[in-house]
Order: sequence, then C-alpha cells, then structure tokens
Amino acid sequence: MASPRSKAKHVFQQGYLLRLLVRRNIKNQYYRSFIGVLWTVLNPLLNMLVMAFVFSELFGFDSQGGLDYSLYILSGNIIFSIMSSSTSGSLPCLVNQQDMLQKTKVSLTLFPTANVFSSLVTFGFSFIALLIVALIRLAAGAFSFHWEIVFTIVLLPAVVLFSLGLSYLLSALYVFFRDIQHVYTVLLTLWTYLTPLFYTIEALNKPIVEKLMNFNPMYHYVSYFRDILMGNIPSLGEHIVCYGFALGMFAIGILVMTLVRNKIAAKL
Amino acid sequence: MKKEDREILREMEATDCLLDVRDVTMKFTKYEVGVDSLKELVVRALRGNLQHEQFVCLKKISFQIHRGEAVAVIGRNGVGKSTLLKIVSGILYPTRGSVHRRGKIAPLLQLGAGFDNNATGIENIYLNAAIMGYTKKEITAKLPAILDFAELGDFIHSPVKTYSSGMLARLGFSIAVNMDADIMLIDEILAVGDMAFQNKCYAKLQELREKGLTFLIVSHGAGIESLCDRAIWIERGRMVANGPAKDIFAAYAAMMTNPETSSRV
Repeated sequence: MASPRSKAKHVFQQGYLLRLLVRRNIKNQYYRSFIGVLWTVLNPLLNMLVMAFVFSELFGFDSQGGLDYSLYILSGNIIFSIMSSSTSGSLPCLVNQQDMLQKTKVSLTLFPTANVFSSLVTFGFSFIALLIVALIRLAAGAFSFHWEIVFTIVLLPAVVLFSLGLSYLLSALYVFFRDIQHVYTVLLTLWTYLTPLFYTIEALNKPIVEKLMNFNPMYHYVSYFRDILMGNIPSLGEHIVCYGFALGMFAIGILVMTLVRNKIAAKL
Repeated sequence: MKKEDREILREMEATDCLLDVRDVTMKFTKYEVGVDSLKELVVRALRGNLQHEQFVCLKKISFQIHRGEAVAVIGRNGVGKSTLLKIVSGILYPTRGSVHRRGKIAPLLQLGAGFDNNATGIENIYLNAAIMGYTKKEITAKLPAILDFAELGDFIHSPVKTYSSGMLARLGFSIAVNMDADIMLIDEILAVGDMAFQNKCYAKLQELREKGLTFLIVSHGAGIESLCDRAIWIERGRMVANGPAKDIFAAYAAMMTNPETSSRV
C-alpha cells in the first residue's frame, strides 16, 4: 500500500534513476571524443562565432544599440536549444527504447524527462560559454554585468516545463505516427527562423509581425533572457505569459501521455 | 484507490497472497494493414475504412500465487504466455479484469534488457537495478553478491558491447536474482547460455526457493518441473488447467506427443 513514506522513497528512487539516465545521455553524446565534455562549452562558442560572422559581417545585422550582437546571438540560441535539442531528441526516444519499455516496468515519462534534463545540463555548460564571451566583451567595453542575471533561475523552470510538455506529446505521437519526424524537423527549422535569434523584431519594422510574435512562446523566453542580461526585470505580465505557456504545454503533454499510455506498450 | 481494490488487497494480506489475477482478458487491435503513419491514417479515414479487427489474446484468466509458491506457466508457442507475464508485471494493462500485487516484483523477461552498450558492467548493474526500482544504497550493498555470481572477473570494467551473449546473460541473471525481490517473473530466459550456466541458474533458483522466494516461470521444457509445485496450462488464450506441477506436466507431455488421442485435462 502506498504510505507517504514509501511514496517519498519512490520519488527519491526515480530521481536517482533519472540522474543515471541523464549522465548516460551526456556521456554518450561525447563518447570517444578527445576532449569530451569540454565540447559542450566549445560547441556553442564556435557556433556563435560562425553566426556572428555570417549575420553581422555578411548580412550586416546588428542588435541596434541593445545587447552586444555576439551576446544577442548566443543568449537567444542557448535558450532556444534547450527546447529544440530536447524535443528533437525526445521525439524518437520511446521507440528507440522499446526493448527496455517492453521488457521492464519503467515509467514512460522517464526517457523524455531525461532528455530535457540533459539539455538543461548542456545549457549549464553553454552558460559558461556565455559568461566567457561576456567577459571578453566587458574588456572591450561593449557589455556590463548586471545582478539581474540571477533571474535566469526564474526563467529556466518555465522553459523546462514547456520542453517537458512538448517532449511528452511528441514522443507519444511518434509511437503511432512515424512520419511526424519529418514534419517536425521542418517545423523546427521554421520555428528557429520565426524566433528572433539572429535579428531583432524592431529591425523588421512590421507591426503585424510584432503582434503575431506574442503567440510564439520561445520569443517570450528568449527576450526574457536578453532583458535580464541587460539588467531589466521583466514585468509581472511577462512572467504570467512565460509560465502560462509552460504550464499549458506541460498539461497537454501529461494529458496525452496518460491517455495513450496503455496503448503505447501494446503498440511498441 | 477504489473500494474493491482495497478489499482485494486486504484479502490478499490476510492469506499472504502476493499476486491476484482476476478475469484478465487481453485484446489486441490489429489493423488490417498497420497504420503507422499519419498519411495512412488520413487516407483511411477519408475512405471510411478505419474499423479494426480485434483479436483476443487471453480470455478470463484467474489465479493466485501465495508466498513461497513456485508456479510454472506452460503451453505451446503463441498461446499468450509472454503476454500474460507482461500483464502480471505491469508492463501491459489488461483490457478487462484486474491484477493486484503485493511486495517487490522483479520481471525478468529478457536478460540484460536495458543494458547500455557503451557503459561498463558496473555502470550497467547500477542502471539495471535502478530500473527495477532499487536505490543506490541498496545496489551498493548487493554489489559483491552480484559480481560473485556473474563471474566476469576484470571484464566488469569493460563496456558491455565487448561481452559475449553468455556473459550478458550471466550479468543480467545475476542482477535479478540477487536483488531480493518478493516475486520473480521469469520468461524462458534460461535457454540462453551454456549448460554449466543453466545448471548454475537452476541451482540458484532452487536455493532461493528454499529461502522462500516466490516465482512464476514461463517455459515449455520439463527442466523446471522439479523446481515448481504448481503449473498453469494455457491453450489458445484460455487457462485449461491449474494444479500440481507433476500431473500437469505429464498431461501436457502426453498431449504434445500424441495430440489426437489424449483428452484435455
């Protein structure tokens, strides 16, 4: 019988299992690479350099007096990639783990959850990369640190909840419809360009785009992060929007997972 | 928890019953052509061709297992034995009927299910036992016994992708039997590995059995007859017999060698 104590033990045990799975994900990602986990810091740095070069030197973009452009690109991308890397990893994860799911009694939500937390760990390393770039820009006089950067820990739970919800939804759907992988790859590319990661919406100068952008949750998360980097605390309304999207998506994900849970084991 | 569930659990506690399976029926929907893609679904929905055939895999299976009992499930290939075991372990949910369990269950449906090829033997012991529901502390306490039984020597620090299938089986079996579950559910896994390993497994099961372990084992071989005191015979999704292992195994063997003349039990 489920006494509170055995319930607490169960939660603790599942937490331990989740930690093992996250560690495995991170390890396998950089398995056999020479400098190993260091890639998690180097990867976003190198990406940022490429993007900063392409967009500012070739296309002539800049952030128009806001955040320094290199930081603008990097900050947007590392927040966006929590969502993009965890959801694209989660999409096939139940099918990939079908051996384990058919032969052992393990919670279905565990694998997508492990993916999201792996992305969160990667974000941690990318955040170090961001701080390195910030220090370099500080030395050049193009950036100054603000204490508001600690608000990152207010933002992260919202991004994580949103990614969890979407990961649950996608991984469950993929069991039934294998072609959503191709659809999602395209949608994710579209989503990347519809989120102001490289450009600012002010630069587009189209009021209608600005209005529509409000329906893009990633836009809210990305601009929240940039705001706190510049030392502005977002309004209460902005917090409500961020968490509204997060809880909504999470609820949808959990709901779908609960509804099809019994069918997934039989279908795998 | 529903009222009837509570009642069943109370009754189980009173009789020291660990597993209660009631009227379990399992139906699978089989699409005439597997609908595996969105495109398929849309095309079929437009044609109004979505009705699906159901096939009954198990029909009204009921039995109980009490503490200390060893029960064999026998029957031909494809009669639903493995499905029954999956339902009992909670991996699949029955279409109708109920399964109630008390205590810790260790499903052993495939040796080494969920091993991570790139991780070492030790890491996999932790991962595998954590999946079975044990905490780090519990696993560390059992580690010497697991290593001892698996007999892998220094290979335990190598990635499991370098293991032979026999070594994988030894490691998987060793983890499962050493974790002190209340009931073990074993699905024909002992067919892998060489004779020495099989004998060692049977000896270990016998030893655990004397200590009071309860298990449910699926097999068609007579090798397990001496291990079990009761057998359940399943034929085409129905339970045709449930009784002393010796009688049932004899009747089953008679039917297999001479299917025409022998009458069903």
